[in-house]
Amino acid sequence: MEDAIGTVIEKREVVKGFFLLKFHLITPFSEVIPGQFVMVKVPSKEVFLRRPFSIYEYENGILGILFKVVGKGTKLLSAVEEGEVLSILGPLGRGFSLDSKGRPVIVAGGIGIAGVHLLAKKLGEGVSLFFGCANIAEKALVSDMVHLRPSISTLDGSFGFSGNVVEMLKNYIEEQTSYDLKIYACGPEGMIRAIKDLLIHDRTPCEVLIEERMACGMGLCYGCVKKTYDVREPFKRVCKEGPVFDLWQISL
Amino acid sequence: MADISLNLFGRKLKNPVMNASGTLGYGREIEPLWRVSEMGVYVSKGLSLKPHHGNPTPRVWEVSSGMLNSIGLQNIGIDRFLEEYLPYFSETKTPVIINFFGFTVEEYVGCAERIKDDENIFALEMNLSCPNIKEGGIGFGKDPNMVFNLIKAVKSVTTKPIFAKLSPEVKNIVEIAKSAYEAGSDGLTLINTMPGVAVDIRKGVIPIKGGLSGPAIKPVALKAVYECRKAVPIPILGTGGIMSLEDALSFFMAGAWAIQVGTATFVDPYTIPRIIDGLKGYLEHHGFSSVSEITGITE
Repeated sequence: MEDAIGTVIEKREVVKGFFLLKFHLITPFSEVIPGQFVMVKVPSKEVFLRRPFSIYEYENGILGILFKVVGKGTKLLSAVEEGEVLSILGPLGRGFSLDSKGRPVIVAGGIGIAGVHLLAKKLGEGVSLFFGCANIAEKALVSDMVHLRPSISTLDGSFGFSGNVVEMLKNYIEEQTSYDLKIYACGPEGMIRAIKDLLIHDRTPCEVLIEERMACGMGLCYGCVKKTYDVREPFKRVCKEGPVFDLWQISL
Repeated sequence: MADISLNLFGRKLKNPVMNASGTLGYGREIEPLWRVSEMGVYVSKGLSLKPHHGNPTPRVWEVSSGMLNSIGLQNIGIDRFLEEYLPYFSETKTPVIINFFGFTVEEYVGCAERIKDDENIFALEMNLSCPNIKEGGIGFGKDPNMVFNLIKAVKSVTTKPIFAKLSPEVKNIVEIAKSAYEAGSDGLTLINTMPGVAVDIRKGVIPIKGGLSGPAIKPVALKAVYECRKAVPIPILGTGGIMSLEDALSFFMAGAWAIQVGTATFVDPYTIPRIIDGLKGYLEHHGFSSVSEITGITE
């Protein structure tokens, strides 16, 4: 873990309202596990706490985050300029487990792609990627993963499967003859619930990356928690015990 | 050569800088960045006789110059803390203040009784902001008589020094401070968070009712330190919105013997070691030989 100084080297609005920021870190991270995140200090007096962002990509001291503008913090962050210097704490949290058996299937909804992008890159050709978004414009969010031949669904039916990503996943699973799948998912809570309903019969192994409001990002404050089925200590810290959880251990 | 150590209750602390309870987890979470033993004292997360699961989310909410929190006192309970976490502080020679709370007098007393006479436990800090469920849910810390009786009861079962941590949501904090002193409290921690709410205007709902912390409450905390130091002759730990060395100095000058840094750590996790380093530099530069020379210099 480092509180690194990051210089903005690239800013790109991938789709309207979705920004990719790349930083050069003066003190590089030692090792990044897909699913981990960073806490970014937004350079504005209007923002008090740092903001958590999944590590979208990381290589040789170059960190990328992909985010959607949803509020004050992300709005101000989308206005930073190349050359600006920000404090970036990371890498944080527990990432995805990569050593599990089963054929990997990644499911991402909207900006949830930011949480599984690095995982998809790491797993490479053998992975099945399902990406659900609002419309044809947003398919640009997976344009650098065409080699993985992602299955894309749009809510407005303007491209690919018409409907939500879990409906598309359901069709895929029903076609499978063997069930040795390992699902990795990141997206809105409604998507995670639908995945749970879909997989509950076989309790297919599934890891989900959870989002929550955070203050410290490193386990100090117990502000970001997810309820689990652990009777002794039901509330687990999303920033420390998560943000990746076993779907079958969390209470939705 | 400036010496930033502090002599308190017959013990020499390496510096007068601590974390505020609940803002440094169980202690080791910060250690990828710096050592807990760099502080004069580690203040534990709020502990209770029985474990508490805490509140559902949202538990934190950013506001202008601060944040609201509603963690709900999630903790593993005093017994597990003493067994699983305390040995680490002993090994690293880090004095510990144990912050604890209860919802009845019996829970406070029961918790204090469990705290063994480990020499590494420097003191106890009583969170008085909890509701007394046997007295209609009124906060212990709001009523001078309840404060007096509660502290008396706890003092009767422990030999450790006690800091009463006072809530700012009272009619007259000086009156509460006097009650705590008269009941035998050895020191005061000023102040706890200030209750507040946020409104989500998109949904027209109140998403969180919690304690306000951060720079927003600093003037309130400074006033409490300043007024209480004039009213009672016991050491004060000042806390509330300390983000920098300058803020820390304000608290010392207002009358704090030592300071606690809380919310600032979330914004900049190196705030505590930076203040410790800065304090030494400040004293040397201004020709002071110890922190006590600036404590309470305001008229």
